[in-house]
Amino acid sequence: MNCNDTAMLISAYADGEADRRQTTSIRQHLAACPRCAAKHDELAALRARIRAEVPRYAAPPSLRASVLASIDAAKRSEPTRIRLGDRWRWLTGGALAGCAATVLAWFVGTAVIAYQENHDIAVEAVTSHVRATLGNHLIQVASSNQHTVKPWLSARLDYSPPVHDMEKEGFTLLGGRIDYLDQRAVATLVYRIRDHTIDVFVCPRAVRMPPSAMRTIRGINVAHASGAQMDWLAVSDVSPDVLSSFVDSLARGGSTQ
Amino acid sequence: MSDASRFAELCLPHLDSAYNLARWLTRDTQDAQDVVQDACVRALKYVGSLHGNDGRAWFLTVVRNAFYDWLARNRPAEVVHDDNVTVDAAADLATPGPEQVALRNAELRVLGDALAALPAQYREVLVLRELEELSYKQIASIVDIPIGTVMSRLARARGMLQRSPVLYAIGGQTARSAP
Repeated sequence: MNCNDTAMLISAYADGEADRRQTTSIRQHLAACPRCAAKHDELAALRARIRAEVPRYAAPPSLRASVLASIDAAKRSEPTRIRLGDRWRWLTGGALAGCAATVLAWFVGTAVIAYQENHDIAVEAVTSHVRATLGNHLIQVASSNQHTVKPWLSARLDYSPPVHDMEKEGFTLLGGRIDYLDQRAVATLVYRIRDHTIDVFVCPRAVRMPPSAMRTIRGINVAHASGAQMDWLAVSDVSPDVLSSFVDSLARGGSTQ
Repeated sequence: MSDASRFAELCLPHLDSAYNLARWLTRDTQDAQDVVQDACVRALKYVGSLHGNDGRAWFLTVVRNAFYDWLARNRPAEVVHDDNVTVDAAADLATPGPEQVALRNAELRVLGDALAALPAQYREVLVLRELEELSYKQIASIVDIPIGTVMSRLARARGMLQRSPVLYAIGGQTARSAP
């Protein structure tokens, strides 16, 4: 592969999206060509800067409330569909209707999922993650200090979950909560990286794990890894490669290698 | 399951992604909310036609379509037809001359401004890749272009950002060593 071929593909290579054959030949070329290697470093530096400096905007609460109100309105008016131009009516629904819709949405959504897919632990984890995110009850103990989060969780469970500080790797501990997985209470740690929230279910061996290490369910990624005492199940909309290396290092005891 | 429940289950968890995309496309908080509202109305109506399990990519497709309809209604002058010739022409127009560089140096203070200044076709693939962390395949389905075009558009978008004066102005480590 020469410099021209590499220039065409280097961006995809840096994204991990080049195919296996291309990846091998680009790697060989980069080792031999300082100019192309410098280009590759520049791409990596650009990505680091974008992720550090460019904000990922979150939906304002007012928008969320009116979308929830519109779901509520749609449910009440079913089977008649809402009309396209009918924006004012559901804009005025307000937060109260929004709350009612949220409760209804979880209730209906989780009941249906539980009915359809109650044997799939990965689906269950995604459902817990979504429910916690929507209802703003993601975090019951808010602390970035693992020595605060761990005793809080241990006091409420029949096991003591390891809690790792991953700040050096870019994952900020936000806190934890008790959630339910496979019909038992499990420790759930909440981390954040670049505006993406990650739920980590720290499960004793008794909890079943999904058969594959990485799955995508409704656009949300689920990765798991087994550690010395615990199984680790991470759920997030962050990219699969980030999520699986994160859960692997948690399972290894918080070290990156 | 009713359409409203399907929407609540498949799309609502991705409201932040939807808003982030709309916010970067419209470059305005109020316009972004209007676009997402419109997208939710459409998604509620058509969620029955969503097959497969990638609610996020599907919802973002709806948001993107709602944005381009909004653009045609509100800023028709900015509509660029989505074939490579016009897109590339727009990119060349975005390559700054000396006076523009001076002007931009004064205006663009942060990297986000440089991203916001890119033509929409380049901005959207970068936002989907770098902020939403989607795969090329998902981006191809959202933007409705072949994977090869995702690849070349991202490469070009990054080249445009690297040429941006912002990268020289602050820190500048990632700025190109040769012009």
